[in-house]
Amino acid sequence: MRQFRTTLLMSICSLMLISCADVRAWERGYLAREEMAWAPDALESSLNDHIFFSKEASSGGNNAAGGGCGCN
Amino acid sequence: MKDSASRNIIALSTTALALPGIALADAPPTQSTISYKLSNYQEDDLSRSETPFGDLERYDIDVHQFQLVSPLGRNMSLHVDANYESLSGASPWYTSRSLDGEPIVNLSGASGISDRRTELSIGSRYYLENGSFGGNIGYSEEDDYRAIYFGFNTEKHYNNDLTTVSAGLSYSSDKVFPTDAALFNRVEEDDKQSSSLFVSVSQIINQVSSFQSALSFTEQSGFLSDPYKLRDFRPDDKTQIAWSNSYRRFFVSANAALHVNYRYYHDDFGISSHTSDLSWHQNLGRTFQIVPTLRYYNQSAAEFFTNVDDFLNPISEYQSSDYRLSAFGAVSGGFSVIADMNSWKITLTAERYLANDKYSAYDVSLPSTALVKYNRISLGIDFRF
Repeated sequence: MRQFRTTLLMSICSLMLISCADVRAWERGYLAREEMAWAPDALESSLNDHIFFSKEASSGGNNAAGGGCGCN
Repeated sequence: MKDSASRNIIALSTTALALPGIALADAPPTQSTISYKLSNYQEDDLSRSETPFGDLERYDIDVHQFQLVSPLGRNMSLHVDANYESLSGASPWYTSRSLDGEPIVNLSGASGISDRRTELSIGSRYYLENGSFGGNIGYSEEDDYRAIYFGFNTEKHYNNDLTTVSAGLSYSSDKVFPTDAALFNRVEEDDKQSSSLFVSVSQIINQVSSFQSALSFTEQSGFLSDPYKLRDFRPDDKTQIAWSNSYRRFFVSANAALHVNYRYYHDDFGISSHTSDLSWHQNLGRTFQIVPTLRYYNQSAAEFFTNVDDFLNPISEYQSSDYRLSAFGAVSGGFSVIADMNSWKITLTAERYLANDKYSAYDVSLPSTALVKYNRISLGIDFRF
């Protein structure tokens, strides 16, 4: 199991190193576009997080949790 | 000629570095943005076969969101968020069995519930040459619930800004004080604490795509039951882990961006879930954009979930018929139209969400009767100055 995990980790790292090109700062125009952001609309993301937090059992992922609510 | 070319490259590089998002969204804002979003969230009524007696109407909620993001000097930014929600309707109170043996649900109160929620959060961020750090503090209040929270996070760039490592933590201290506690034999007042931390790695893959993987841990302790349910006893601590992955790709020929997100979640109530969503951000000329979104969610049930409350069980035994702890799947689809006119941006969004035990890939031995279906419409306005 431990060997499998080490192999998996090394494979992922190798894949990332191989597949990632050296993109210069002036070549990042498309990446800088607003629609390429992790969360292009902060209020939309915040609202969806709040609704799904209230109606499903799961939460969390790519940020630390904020305040709770008495959502029933 | 050569000097001119060099100057152009330097100018281009400088412009690129100044663009927000160029190093995975980490640069101080160059102008202020004030945003407002008005949303209406409306749950479908339950059917008479699910609820033979009493009200069928569920929640109808209006949400007002405000946000200000502004530069603060040369290297700092200020973030202010304020939310106001007003809700009316009813939520499941207890479950029982119908004459033909099927589980049925009874909603709270003939006149339903009416509540308001107000939240204010203030934060700031300091930008360094190779990263940034920031924090926020917030307060949320309802008629029967109060939360005070704070958070801190930092990020650093490596590998010529191709790789970004982020980490953060937050803490929330909550108090619950249900209405009509004495009348319905509810807990009068209790506390809940939540601590959370996350770490993420973002990687630029090439000129048009990037990837992010994040891991978060949350520990909750205190009163985790639902005080408005007639029979709801849950453990007083819960550990949650979530692993999320995001991929972004820009299609130059289509002038559109693809967003793919996936999250795995597990907690020690015994719930596991998978969440996948896709969205396509299609630019139409320089002003308009349309964004269709599709999401699929799928969770297993908590170990102590029951779809028919057992009032003979001792209260020392964990039990809940909360539909959110049942095994179910949910499919939702949304569509946004965005008009970006220099200083102004207007966003219209419509969304439909359908939860059903038949959509679950997990084993559903105890299907819940009160799963939610809802519509949501939003109007958002951003003004940059």
